[in-house]
Amino acid sequence: MGFGDLKTPAGLKVLNEFLADKSYIEGYVPSQADVAVFDALSGVPSADLCHALRWYNHIKSYHKEKGSLPGVKKPLSQYGPAGVEDTTGAAPAAADEDDDDDIDLFGSDEEEDEETKKIKEERLAAYNAKKAKKPALIAKSSILLDVKPWDDETDMAKLEECVRSIQLDGLVWGQSKLLPVGYGIKKLQIACVVEDDKVGTDQLEELITAFEDYVQSMDVAAFNKI
Amino acid sequence: MCPVSGVIKMALRELSSLEKFLGLKKPNKYSTQGGKKVPLLQNNNGPALIGLVTIASHLIREAKRPELLGDSAEQRAVVQQWIEHRITRLDNCSKEEGNVILKDLNQYLKDKVYLAGNVFTLADILMYYGIHHIVVELAVQEKERYLNVTRWFDHIQHYPGVRHHLPPVVVLRNRVYPSGHH
Repeated sequence: MGFGDLKTPAGLKVLNEFLADKSYIEGYVPSQADVAVFDALSGVPSADLCHALRWYNHIKSYHKEKGSLPGVKKPLSQYGPAGVEDTTGAAPAAADEDDDDDIDLFGSDEEEDEETKKIKEERLAAYNAKKAKKPALIAKSSILLDVKPWDDETDMAKLEECVRSIQLDGLVWGQSKLLPVGYGIKKLQIACVVEDDKVGTDQLEELITAFEDYVQSMDVAAFNKI
Repeated sequence: MCPVSGVIKMALRELSSLEKFLGLKKPNKYSTQGGKKVPLLQNNNGPALIGLVTIASHLIREAKRPELLGDSAEQRAVVQQWIEHRITRLDNCSKEEGNVILKDLNQYLKDKVYLAGNVFTLADILMYYGIHHIVVELAVQEKERYLNVTRWFDHIQHYPGVRHHLPPVVVLRNRVYPSGHH
Protein backbone atom coordinates (compact mmCIF):
# COMPACT_ATOMS: atom_id res chain seq x y z
CA MET A 1 0.00 0.00 0.00
CA GLY A 2 1.05 3.63 -0.10
CA PHE A 3 0.54 6.56 -2.43
CA GLY A 4 3.83 6.53 -4.34
CA ASP A 5 5.85 9.66 -3.55
CA LEU A 6 3.49 12.11 -1.85
CA LYS A 7 5.91 14.95 -2.48
CA THR A 8 5.38 14.61 -6.24
CA PRO A 9 2.36 15.41 -8.45
CA ALA A 10 2.05 11.70 -9.31
CA GLY A 11 1.72 10.74 -5.64
CA LEU A 12 -0.82 13.51 -5.02
CA LYS A 13 -2.86 12.19 -7.94
CA VAL A 14 -3.00 8.74 -6.31
CA LEU A 15 -4.09 10.38 -3.05
CA ASN A 16 -6.75 12.37 -4.90
CA GLU A 17 -8.21 9.27 -6.60
CA PHE A 18 -8.17 7.41 -3.29
CA LEU A 19 -10.09 10.16 -1.49
CA ALA A 20 -12.77 10.60 -4.18
CA ASP A 21 -15.20 8.35 -2.31
CA LYS A 22 -13.80 8.65 1.20
CA SER A 23 -13.85 11.39 3.83
CA TYR A 24 -10.80 10.00 5.65
CA ILE A 25 -7.67 7.93 4.97
CA GLU A 26 -8.99 5.16 7.22
CA GLY A 27 -12.49 4.54 8.50
CA TYR A 28 -15.12 7.18 9.09
CA VAL A 29 -13.59 9.47 11.70
CA PRO A 30 -10.41 11.59 11.62
CA SER A 31 -7.46 9.62 13.02
CA GLN A 32 -3.69 9.46 13.20
CA ALA A 33 -3.83 7.93 9.72
CA ASP A 34 -4.97 11.33 8.41
CA VAL A 35 -2.30 13.09 10.48
CA ALA A 36 0.42 10.82 9.08
CA VAL A 37 -0.54 11.51 5.47
CA PHE A 38 -1.21 15.22 6.11
CA ASP A 39 2.26 15.67 7.58
CA ALA A 40 3.85 13.95 4.58
CA LEU A 41 2.52 16.54 2.11
CA SER A 42 4.74 19.47 1.13
CA GLY A 43 1.80 21.87 0.99
CA VAL A 44 -1.79 22.50 0.00
CA PRO A 45 -2.95 20.30 -2.92
CA SER A 46 -3.77 22.28 -6.06
CA ALA A 47 -7.38 23.10 -6.95
CA ASP A 48 -7.59 20.51 -9.73
CA LEU A 49 -7.07 17.75 -7.13
CA CYS A 50 -10.45 18.60 -5.63
CA HIS A 51 -10.78 15.53 -3.40
CA ALA A 52 -7.29 15.87 -1.91
CA LEU A 53 -7.96 19.58 -1.38
CA ARG A 54 -11.30 18.91 0.33
CA TRP A 55 -9.66 16.36 2.65
CA TYR A 56 -6.69 18.65 3.32
CA ASN A 57 -8.87 21.59 4.39
CA HIS A 58 -11.00 19.29 6.53
CA ILE A 59 -8.03 17.76 8.37
CA LYS A 60 -6.52 21.24 8.79
CA SER A 61 -9.65 22.20 10.72
CA TYR A 62 -8.68 19.57 13.32
CA HIS A 63 -5.18 21.03 13.87
CA LYS A 64 -5.92 21.81 17.51
CA GLU A 65 -6.87 18.19 18.29
CA LYS A 66 -4.17 16.67 16.07
CA GLY A 67 -2.41 14.93 18.95
CA SER A 68 -5.57 13.48 20.45
CA LEU A 69 -7.08 11.95 17.32
CA PRO A 70 -7.60 8.20 17.70
CA GLY A 71 -5.26 5.52 16.42
CA VAL A 72 -1.53 5.21 16.02
CA LYS A 73 0.61 6.82 13.32
CA LYS A 74 1.83 4.08 11.01
CA PRO A 75 4.31 4.30 8.13
CA LEU A 76 2.80 5.62 4.88
CA SER A 77 3.06 2.19 3.27
CA GLN A 78 0.22 1.06 5.59
CA TYR A 79 -2.28 3.47 4.03
CA GLY A 80 -3.81 4.00 0.65
CA PRO A 81 -4.76 1.77 -2.28
CA ALA A 82 -3.47 -1.77 -2.68
CA GLY A 83 -0.96 -2.32 -5.46
CA VAL A 84 0.80 1.03 -4.99
CA GLU A 85 4.04 1.46 -3.07
CA ASP A 86 5.10 4.26 -0.79
CA THR A 87 8.23 5.97 -2.10
CA THR A 88 7.90 9.20 -0.11
CA GLY A 89 11.04 10.08 1.82
CA ALA A 90 13.53 8.71 -0.71
CA ALA A 91 14.56 12.34 -1.43
CA PRO A 92 15.41 13.52 2.15
CA ALA A 93 17.97 10.69 2.54
CA ALA A 94 19.86 12.03 -0.48
CA ALA A 95 19.69 15.59 0.90
CA ASP A 96 21.34 14.48 4.14
CA GLU A 97 24.21 12.97 2.22
CA ASP A 98 24.68 16.24 0.34
CA ASP A 99 25.05 18.02 3.67
CA ASP A 100 27.81 15.61 4.65
CA ASP A 101 29.71 16.60 1.52
CA ASP A 102 29.86 20.24 2.64
CA ILE A 103 31.67 19.45 5.92
CA ASP A 104 35.37 19.65 5.06
CA LEU A 105 37.22 19.79 8.41
CA PHE A 106 39.69 16.85 8.69
CA GLY A 107 41.22 15.24 5.60
CA SER A 108 41.52 11.69 6.99
CA ASP A 109 38.01 11.76 8.44
CA GLU A 110 36.73 12.82 5.07
CA GLU A 111 38.23 9.73 3.45
CA GLU A 112 36.60 7.48 6.00
CA ASP A 113 33.31 9.28 5.53
CA GLU A 114 33.52 8.79 1.78
CA GLU A 115 34.03 5.07 2.16
CA THR A 116 31.18 4.60 4.59
CA LYS A 117 29.06 6.87 2.41
CA LYS A 118 29.85 4.70 -0.61
CA ILE A 119 28.85 1.54 1.25
CA LYS A 120 25.66 3.23 2.46
CA GLU A 121 24.82 4.29 -1.08
CA GLU A 122 25.46 0.83 -2.48
CA ARG A 123 23.31 -0.73 0.20
CA LEU A 124 20.53 1.80 -0.45
CA ALA A 125 20.65 1.14 -4.20
CA ALA A 126 20.52 -2.64 -3.65
CA TYR A 127 17.59 -2.26 -1.24
CA ASN A 128 15.67 -0.04 -3.67
CA ALA A 129 16.35 -2.43 -6.54
CA LYS A 130 15.01 -5.28 -4.41
CA LYS A 131 11.95 -3.23 -3.47
CA ALA A 132 11.32 -2.34 -7.12
CA LYS A 133 11.59 -5.99 -8.14
CA LYS A 134 9.17 -7.19 -5.47
CA PRO A 135 5.85 -6.53 -7.27
CA ALA A 136 6.95 -8.68 -10.20
CA LEU A 137 7.48 -11.62 -7.85
CA ILE A 138 3.90 -11.63 -6.51
CA ALA A 139 2.12 -14.45 -8.32
CA LYS A 140 -1.20 -13.27 -9.77
CA SER A 141 -3.96 -14.88 -11.76
CA SER A 142 -6.74 -13.48 -13.89
CA ILE A 143 -10.00 -15.32 -13.26
CA LEU A 144 -13.26 -15.12 -15.18
CA LEU A 145 -16.26 -16.16 -13.09
CA ASP A 146 -19.74 -17.18 -14.23
CA VAL A 147 -22.36 -16.35 -11.61
CA LYS A 148 -25.78 -17.88 -12.30
CA PRO A 149 -29.05 -16.56 -10.81
CA TRP A 150 -32.10 -18.60 -9.80
CA ASP A 151 -34.33 -17.49 -12.65
CA ASP A 152 -35.02 -14.75 -15.17
CA GLU A 153 -36.67 -12.59 -12.50
CA THR A 154 -33.54 -12.26 -10.38
CA ASP A 155 -32.34 -8.64 -10.13
CA MET A 156 -28.97 -8.91 -11.92
CA ALA A 157 -27.91 -5.40 -10.89
CA LYS A 158 -28.30 -6.35 -7.22
CA LEU A 159 -26.52 -9.64 -7.87
CA GLU A 160 -23.57 -7.79 -9.39
CA GLU A 161 -23.52 -5.38 -6.42
CA CYS A 162 -23.41 -8.30 -4.00
CA VAL A 163 -20.52 -9.91 -5.86
CA ARG A 164 -18.57 -6.65 -6.06
CA SER A 165 -19.17 -6.01 -2.38
CA ILE A 166 -16.84 -8.93 -1.63
CA GLN A 167 -13.64 -7.20 -0.58
CA LEU A 168 -10.49 -9.22 0.08
CA ASP A 169 -6.83 -8.33 0.37
CA GLY A 170 -5.30 -9.40 -2.95
CA LEU A 171 -8.58 -9.26 -4.90
CA VAL A 172 -9.41 -6.65 -7.51
CA TRP A 173 -12.69 -6.79 -9.44
CA GLY A 174 -12.63 -5.98 -13.14
CA GLN A 175 -15.12 -5.72 -15.98
CA SER A 176 -18.35 -7.60 -16.13
CA LYS A 177 -21.08 -8.43 -18.63
CA LEU A 178 -24.39 -10.23 -18.73
CA LEU A 179 -24.63 -13.25 -21.05
CA PRO A 180 -27.92 -14.92 -21.96
CA VAL A 181 -28.07 -18.65 -21.22
CA GLY A 182 -31.58 -19.39 -22.40
CA TYR A 183 -35.20 -19.11 -21.20
CA GLY A 184 -34.61 -15.41 -20.58
CA ILE A 185 -32.04 -16.16 -17.88
CA LYS A 186 -28.78 -14.17 -17.94
CA LYS A 187 -25.57 -15.08 -16.16
CA LEU A 188 -23.08 -12.54 -14.83
CA GLN A 189 -19.61 -13.00 -16.24
CA ILE A 190 -17.18 -11.00 -14.15
CA ALA A 191 -13.39 -10.79 -14.25
CA CYS A 192 -11.05 -10.42 -11.32
CA VAL A 193 -7.33 -10.41 -10.61
CA VAL A 194 -6.15 -12.23 -7.50
CA GLU A 195 -2.83 -12.67 -5.73
CA ASP A 196 -2.43 -16.46 -5.62
CA ASP A 197 -1.08 -16.45 -2.07
CA LYS A 198 -4.00 -14.51 -0.70
CA VAL A 199 -7.14 -15.53 -2.56
CA GLY A 200 -8.32 -18.89 -3.90
CA THR A 201 -11.27 -19.83 -6.11
CA ASP A 202 -12.75 -21.99 -3.34
CA GLN A 203 -12.85 -18.96 -1.10
CA LEU A 204 -14.49 -16.87 -3.83
CA GLU A 205 -17.05 -19.57 -4.50
CA GLU A 206 -17.98 -19.74 -0.81
CA LEU A 207 -18.39 -15.98 -0.53
CA ILE A 208 -20.35 -15.61 -3.76
CA THR A 209 -22.72 -18.52 -3.19
CA ALA A 210 -23.39 -17.14 0.30
CA PHE A 211 -25.73 -14.63 -1.40
CA GLU A 212 -28.34 -17.36 -1.55
CA ASP A 213 -31.17 -15.00 -2.48
CA TYR A 214 -29.58 -14.13 -5.81
CA VAL A 215 -26.90 -16.68 -6.64
CA GLN A 216 -27.74 -20.22 -7.65
CA SER A 217 -24.17 -21.26 -8.49
CA MET A 218 -20.73 -20.03 -9.53
CA ASP A 219 -18.25 -21.51 -11.99
CA VAL A 220 -14.77 -20.61 -13.10
CA ALA A 221 -15.07 -19.83 -16.81
CA ALA A 222 -11.38 -19.08 -17.33
CA PHE A 223 -8.21 -19.06 -15.24
CA ASN A 224 -4.95 -17.56 -16.48
CA LYS A 225 -1.64 -16.97 -14.76
CA ILE A 226 -0.40 -13.42 -15.21
CA MET B 1 -51.87 1.77 2.25
CA CYS B 2 -52.30 5.50 2.60
CA PRO B 3 -49.07 7.24 1.50
CA VAL B 4 -49.54 10.04 4.03
CA SER B 5 -49.45 7.67 6.99
CA GLY B 6 -46.16 6.30 5.62
CA VAL B 7 -44.73 9.82 5.75
CA ILE B 8 -45.89 10.45 9.35
CA LYS B 9 -44.46 7.17 10.56
CA MET B 10 -41.11 8.17 9.00
CA ALA B 11 -41.20 11.58 10.70
CA LEU B 12 -41.88 10.00 14.10
CA ARG B 13 -39.17 7.39 13.53
CA GLU B 14 -36.75 10.19 12.62
CA LEU B 15 -37.51 12.03 15.84
CA SER B 16 -37.03 8.83 17.81
CA SER B 17 -33.67 8.18 16.11
CA LEU B 18 -32.62 11.76 16.76
CA GLU B 19 -33.45 11.34 20.45
CA LYS B 20 -31.22 8.23 20.53
CA PHE B 21 -28.39 10.09 18.76
CA LEU B 22 -28.61 12.94 21.28
CA GLY B 23 -28.62 10.49 24.18
CA LEU B 24 -31.91 11.82 25.54
CA LYS B 25 -32.93 9.34 28.21
CA LYS B 26 -36.67 9.86 28.25
CA PRO B 27 -38.35 9.44 24.84
CA ASN B 28 -41.08 11.98 24.11
CA LYS B 29 -44.63 11.11 23.20
CA TYR B 30 -45.53 12.60 19.83
CA SER B 31 -48.90 13.04 18.20
CA THR B 32 -49.92 14.38 14.82
CA GLN B 33 -51.98 17.31 13.70
CA GLY B 34 -54.16 18.26 10.78
CA GLY B 35 -54.84 16.68 7.40
CA LYS B 36 -51.14 16.53 6.57
CA LYS B 37 -50.48 14.83 9.93
CA VAL B 38 -47.56 17.01 10.94
CA PRO B 39 -45.72 15.74 14.07
CA LEU B 40 -46.62 17.55 17.28
CA LEU B 41 -44.99 17.63 20.72
CA GLN B 42 -47.02 18.87 23.64
CA ASN B 43 -44.69 20.87 25.84
CA ASN B 44 -45.68 21.12 29.52
CA ASN B 45 -44.20 24.56 29.87
CA GLY B 46 -45.73 26.28 26.87
CA PRO B 47 -47.40 26.02 23.51
CA ALA B 48 -47.18 22.81 21.46
CA LEU B 49 -44.23 22.40 19.10
CA ILE B 50 -45.32 21.57 15.59
CA GLY B 51 -43.28 20.27 12.69
CA LEU B 52 -40.24 18.03 12.23
CA VAL B 53 -37.74 20.89 12.13
CA THR B 54 -39.19 22.79 15.09
CA ILE B 55 -39.24 19.67 17.25
CA ALA B 56 -35.77 18.59 16.12
CA SER B 57 -34.30 22.00 17.01
CA HIS B 58 -36.04 21.80 20.40
CA LEU B 59 -34.52 18.35 21.07
CA ILE B 60 -31.08 19.68 20.24
CA ARG B 61 -31.44 22.52 22.73
CA GLU B 62 -32.81 20.08 25.31
CA ALA B 63 -29.71 17.90 24.84
CA LYS B 64 -27.52 21.00 25.17
CA ARG B 65 -25.88 20.44 21.77
CA PRO B 66 -26.41 23.87 20.16
CA GLU B 67 -23.31 23.40 17.98
CA LEU B 68 -25.38 20.90 15.95
CA LEU B 69 -27.31 23.88 14.61
CA GLY B 70 -24.12 25.71 13.59
CA ASP B 71 -21.24 27.45 15.35
CA SER B 72 -21.43 30.85 13.68
CA ALA B 73 -24.14 33.03 12.18
CA GLU B 74 -23.05 31.97 8.71
CA GLN B 75 -23.03 28.28 9.63
CA ARG B 76 -26.45 28.54 11.29
CA ALA B 77 -27.81 30.07 8.08
CA VAL B 78 -26.38 27.22 5.99
CA VAL B 79 -27.86 24.63 8.36
CA GLN B 80 -31.28 26.28 8.23
CA GLN B 81 -31.06 26.44 4.43
CA TRP B 82 -30.47 22.68 4.14
CA ILE B 83 -33.12 21.79 6.68
CA GLU B 84 -35.63 23.83 4.72
CA HIS B 85 -34.40 22.21 1.50
CA ARG B 86 -35.17 18.81 3.02
CA ILE B 87 -38.78 19.74 3.87
CA THR B 88 -39.67 21.84 0.84
CA ARG B 89 -37.81 20.10 -2.00
CA LEU B 90 -36.75 16.61 -0.94
CA ASP B 91 -39.85 15.30 0.88
CA ASN B 92 -42.38 13.77 -1.52
CA CYS B 93 -40.35 14.73 -4.60
CA SER B 94 -40.80 12.99 -7.96
CA LYS B 95 -38.11 10.83 -9.56
CA GLU B 96 -37.07 13.68 -11.90
CA GLU B 97 -36.86 16.16 -9.04
CA GLY B 98 -34.85 13.60 -7.09
CA ASN B 99 -32.26 13.43 -9.88
CA VAL B 100 -31.95 17.21 -9.95
CA ILE B 101 -31.45 17.22 -6.19
CA LEU B 102 -28.74 14.56 -6.49
CA LYS B 103 -26.98 16.53 -9.21
CA ASP B 104 -27.05 19.79 -7.22
CA LEU B 105 -26.01 18.08 -4.00
CA ASN B 106 -23.13 16.33 -5.78
CA GLN B 107 -21.82 19.66 -7.06
CA TYR B 108 -22.27 21.30 -3.64
CA LEU B 109 -20.37 18.55 -1.80
CA LYS B 110 -17.34 18.64 -4.10
CA ASP B 111 -15.26 20.62 -1.61
CA LYS B 112 -17.11 19.81 1.61
CA VAL B 113 -17.08 16.90 4.01
CA TYR B 114 -20.30 17.92 5.76
CA LEU B 115 -23.17 20.12 4.51
CA ALA B 116 -21.97 22.97 6.72
CA GLY B 117 -18.36 22.47 5.57
CA ASN B 118 -16.13 20.92 8.19
CA VAL B 119 -18.56 20.36 11.06
CA PHE B 120 -21.33 17.81 11.51
CA THR B 121 -24.77 19.39 12.05
CA LEU B 122 -28.49 18.61 12.12
CA ALA B 123 -28.51 19.42 8.39
CA ASP B 124 -26.47 16.26 7.74
CA ILE B 125 -28.78 14.14 9.92
CA LEU B 126 -32.05 15.35 8.38
CA MET B 127 -30.76 15.25 4.81
CA TYR B 128 -29.45 11.71 5.42
CA TYR B 129 -32.87 10.60 6.75
CA GLY B 130 -34.63 12.32 3.86
CA ILE B 131 -32.44 11.14 0.99
CA HIS B 132 -31.97 7.54 2.16
CA HIS B 133 -34.91 6.17 0.15
CA ILE B 134 -33.38 7.64 -3.03
CA VAL B 135 -29.79 6.51 -2.41
CA VAL B 136 -30.80 2.96 -1.48
CA GLU B 137 -32.28 2.53 -4.97
CA LEU B 138 -29.25 3.81 -6.93
CA ALA B 139 -27.32 1.39 -9.17
CA VAL B 140 -23.53 1.11 -8.91
CA GLN B 141 -23.02 3.46 -11.89
CA GLU B 142 -25.34 6.09 -10.43
CA LYS B 143 -23.60 5.92 -7.06
CA GLU B 144 -20.37 6.71 -8.90
CA ARG B 145 -21.95 9.44 -11.03
CA TYR B 146 -23.00 11.20 -7.82
CA LEU B 147 -19.70 10.32 -6.18
CA ASN B 148 -19.64 13.21 -3.69
CA VAL B 149 -23.17 12.43 -2.52
CA THR B 150 -22.21 8.76 -2.10
CA ARG B 151 -19.09 9.71 -0.15
CA TRP B 152 -21.03 12.06 2.13
CA PHE B 153 -23.87 9.55 2.59
CA ASP B 154 -21.50 6.69 3.50
CA HIS B 155 -19.77 8.99 5.98
CA ILE B 156 -23.01 10.09 7.67
CA GLN B 157 -24.49 6.59 7.92
CA HIS B 158 -21.29 5.53 9.72
CA TYR B 159 -21.17 8.59 11.99
CA PRO B 160 -21.36 7.28 15.58
CA GLY B 161 -24.94 7.20 16.81
CA VAL B 162 -26.68 8.40 13.66
CA ARG B 163 -28.03 5.27 11.99
CA HIS B 164 -30.96 3.77 13.93
CA HIS B 165 -34.12 3.19 11.94
CA LEU B 166 -32.61 3.07 8.45
CA PRO B 167 -30.90 0.01 6.95
CA PRO B 168 -27.29 0.51 5.82
CA VAL B 169 -26.70 1.18 2.13
CA VAL B 170 -23.85 -0.79 0.57
CA VAL B 171 -21.18 1.55 -0.80
CA LEU B 172 -18.26 0.00 -2.62
CA ARG B 173 -14.90 1.42 -1.57
CA ASN B 174 -13.15 0.34 -4.78
CA ARG B 175 -14.55 2.15 -7.76
CA VAL B 176 -15.59 0.23 -10.83
CA TYR B 177 -15.67 3.09 -13.32
CA PRO B 178 -12.49 5.22 -13.21
CA SER B 179 -12.90 8.98 -13.08
CA GLY B 180 -12.16 9.43 -16.79
CA HIS B 181 -15.57 7.98 -17.66
CA HIS B 182 -17.68 10.79 -16.23
